[in-house]
Amino acid sequence: MKKLFVVLLSLFLSFSFLFAGGAKEEAVKEKVKLGDEPVTITFWHSSSDEAGVLMDKFIKTFNETNPYKITVKGIYQGQYSDATTLMKTIISAENYKELPDVMQMDATGKVDYSSSGRAFTASDAFSAYEDISSEYIPVALSNWDYQGETLGLPFALSTTITFYNADMLKKAGWDNAPDTFKDIVELKKDMEKAGIEAASYGTVPNTPLLANWLGQMGSYVVNNKNGSESMATELDCIENGKLEEFLTEWKNLYAEGGVENRSLSTNQFVAGEVAVFTSSSSNVSSVLEKVGDRFTVGTSPFLRVNEEVEYGATVSGSCLVMFDSKDELRKKASWEFIKYLTGKEVQAEFAISTGYIPSNLEALESEEYKNKLEENPQFRVAPEQLLSTPKDMKSVTVGPSADFYYAIMNGVSDMLKNDTDVAKATESISSSLQSLLDQYKRNNI
Amino acid sequence: MKRKQKDLLFDTLVTVVAIILGIIIIFPLIYCFLSSFKTPSEFLNPKLFPSSFLYLDNFKNALERGNLLRYTLNSFVIAFVGTAVRMVLSILAAYAFTFYDFKGKNFFFFLILGTMMIPGDVLLVTNYLTVSKMHLLNTYLGVMIVSFVSASQMFMLRQRFKTIPKDMREASSMDGYGDLWFIWKVLLPLSKPVVTTLFVQSFINLWNAYLWPLIVTASSPEMRTVMVGITRLNSWEDENYQLVMAGVCISLIPSLILFVVMRRNMKKGGLDGSLVG
Amino acid sequence: MSKSGKSIKKRRDNRRVFFLLLPITIFAIAFVYFPFLRTIVNAFSLVNSKGEIKGFAGLENFIYTYGRKDFLPALRHTLIIALFNVPITLIITLTLALLSEKRRKLSAVYETMFTLPMSVSMSAACMIFKSMFSPSVGFINYFFSLKLGWFENSDTALFSCIILTVWMGIGFDYLLLLSALRGIPKSVMEATKVDGISLMRRIFLVEIPLISPTIFYIFCTNLVLCMMTSAPMIIIMGVRAESASTNTLMSMMYQSGFSSSDYGLAAVLSLTAFLLTLLFTILSFVTERRRVHYEA
Repeated sequence: MKKLFVVLLSLFLSFSFLFAGGAKEEAVKEKVKLGDEPVTITFWHSSSDEAGVLMDKFIKTFNETNPYKITVKGIYQGQYSDATTLMKTIISAENYKELPDVMQMDATGKVDYSSSGRAFTASDAFSAYEDISSEYIPVALSNWDYQGETLGLPFALSTTITFYNADMLKKAGWDNAPDTFKDIVELKKDMEKAGIEAASYGTVPNTPLLANWLGQMGSYVVNNKNGSESMATELDCIENGKLEEFLTEWKNLYAEGGVENRSLSTNQFVAGEVAVFTSSSSNVSSVLEKVGDRFTVGTSPFLRVNEEVEYGATVSGSCLVMFDSKDELRKKASWEFIKYLTGKEVQAEFAISTGYIPSNLEALESEEYKNKLEENPQFRVAPEQLLSTPKDMKSVTVGPSADFYYAIMNGVSDMLKNDTDVAKATESISSSLQSLLDQYKRNNI
Repeated sequence: MKRKQKDLLFDTLVTVVAIILGIIIIFPLIYCFLSSFKTPSEFLNPKLFPSSFLYLDNFKNALERGNLLRYTLNSFVIAFVGTAVRMVLSILAAYAFTFYDFKGKNFFFFLILGTMMIPGDVLLVTNYLTVSKMHLLNTYLGVMIVSFVSASQMFMLRQRFKTIPKDMREASSMDGYGDLWFIWKVLLPLSKPVVTTLFVQSFINLWNAYLWPLIVTASSPEMRTVMVGITRLNSWEDENYQLVMAGVCISLIPSLILFVVMRRNMKKGGLDGSLVG
Repeated sequence: MSKSGKSIKKRRDNRRVFFLLLPITIFAIAFVYFPFLRTIVNAFSLVNSKGEIKGFAGLENFIYTYGRKDFLPALRHTLIIALFNVPITLIITLTLALLSEKRRKLSAVYETMFTLPMSVSMSAACMIFKSMFSPSVGFINYFFSLKLGWFENSDTALFSCIILTVWMGIGFDYLLLLSALRGIPKSVMEATKVDGISLMRRIFLVEIPLISPTIFYIFCTNLVLCMMTSAPMIIIMGVRAESASTNTLMSMMYQSGFSSSDYGLAAVLSLTAFLLTLLFTILSFVTERRRVHYEA
């Protein structure tokens, strides 16, 4: 067996030799001051649709107005997952000169970026240039912490909130949104009394939702603060009994008819099939647009497991990271550019037009943004919730992210479908998640 | 007389049935076309027809945001040249497999056929490395080169060539004509419908490629293909279907034009009785 | 011909074959088998999330992959898709081709209709079907007053994916069959008319055997395509609880392999799919000798 392996490997390597040659490193340039000579940097982004139009505009404005003769070449690289695949491919091929100077990345790229060997992190820039970390909402910035470093600056910022069909709730005699799982059950009963057929709530918990609910209960899903400090190797919610506690509440919610065991999306909410729905706050404007004048949309803080736990939900969205081009001038230019994209003006305008939360504190306090919240109360919940979310609440970073997501959903969904005992379901979920972590550990240590 | 009437009745009946089936089959396309005139809020109304055909924002946005016009040329070059090379390689190979007997014939045949059974995703990184070392990143050739082998084309051509009597080649060989002459003058004209059909299919196939072109042209957006433009219409968290539908409609146009142009050739019978012997 | 004459011809033939097959073989090796070698190596290695080989793993990757709870369902779904898709596509396209074989006044209209699905890309088709079959806002449920969940219900999702893949294949397969039918020599068709045999017998005893090379092609390529199906699972199903009911070998490779940075598992799955598909194809070619007639 091993012999065959060696033969195959050497065959592969000798073939690789055929195509020898390859990427040459660019020489390290002398230190030059920004503005002395023109410099061009590449920027990969994944902003599509409305956000894409805005992104193009920001890049254009920056190119026209920056005093340092910087030209940014913005390239749309498909969805975040496509851009991450691209980054991974280039890193595996060690063809570093194809890497961009700046990249817009979501949480799926975190681990790969951090281990790329070519990361020029925000922490590096803080110590090399200037520490501007105090300009951002703390939870927004710390969301991009990994292995003790802040990887990038937050660009598009959102959190999970509750949307509700205010007309439907009113008909059932509710003036306010449900706050806890128990409220949902009550709501369903009142809706039945009022003859409303729609579901009260429908979802299948996945990684971010579980991180939110366990986070409210003061627990992480996996160790090392949900994998934000270093590679997650074990589950953190088994021994403290929090997963079992959550599953008990969830099963109860289902048994009482409060939740349907399927993911109800924006479209179903708009079509009036469900009264309450949880989703990213960045969807507020599109939900409002789609609903039109069918009914009144209300928003409220993310649902809580019960009355004893804290409010809050983890941060999601994208950040801007830099790669080390070994060219001081380009690195400085990249820094100027990401400061601009996360600065007051851009963040305020981006937030106003899309519904994301400004990551920049000044933008959050700006008149324009405040006016927007004044006129559109539905937008107000997200920033308020974000500011009150405990700083320790972190989104989950694990290597096998897709499988993890899927294993949680399946585990919870199977428990409801087969009416499994909660203790048994906890055990089965924990064993399937642990085996994913083990497999990743086996491959990566 | 009666017989003729019966035939006419039968033909009319078949035509009606065929058209009904046809409508069912192209229904998804009709749906796509009609949906692209809907407003975002209207799209969530399950009715088939939009309230007005004058709402053209989706098309306008698709063209502007997707940068579709600019990418069309790239897609065209890649799909056209790529298909041409594919066809040549496949025809040569299919010819060898049909008209020659040689040692290892089955091995080579399955070697080529086997390329269909390997998912492109696992080849991505190594191919990227190869193309990069050949200095073909951000070039048309770099995008096309990985798709020069088409096992399914080679296979179909072999199926077609096999129905052509072998003595035809022997005769041409006796007359002193070479392989290429025989392929060009006899084989291809006889297989015109199949060759055209394969050409169109391959063209559409390459036209629609997404991930590989995206990766190979990472640093030059001006080399991008139409499909990359289309994904830019679909936003990440919220699903803007009506915009995507408009994009799909636009991206279908070249395929449709090719289709109409090639239609005559695709369906003509090949080997008519008169040609044999 | 003398013995030496024969061997000269043989040598000349071999040289010609060499040049005919050289181009396609070079590309097949450089861009398919050479990178695939890497996959085979990966299957027996410890590979980290950057794709670097960290050591020899023996059969560990195989044991892990085959031992996963979702492996057998993925294999089952793949086979179910093939089992349904292949015959259904053949029956539909053959019916359409026979229906439109004779040229009629409106031939051009319905022939074009039957062929059009071919011009749509897989991802575009996925988008169209996803929204058309959406349980709440889709046209299908609305028009037929149905309450089916289609892609969003575990019981119907796989079936819905099969509808989509069948639809995708209609245009191309129909076109090939039609041109094969029209390619049947006129003399043969006239002979059947003179003999006055019934329509059904003509179809089953004359036409289908005569176009069997094309049918065989469609059978084999559809089988291969089904074994490789992943697009509807990834684009429409995505990562949802219901996607457990449609997971195939290839979508599992994509999701549990690439998206989860487990290249060992991805390699095992693609190797498995490759060998299985090759086996099926070789078996089909064994039966080909008995059932497919090439010369009229």
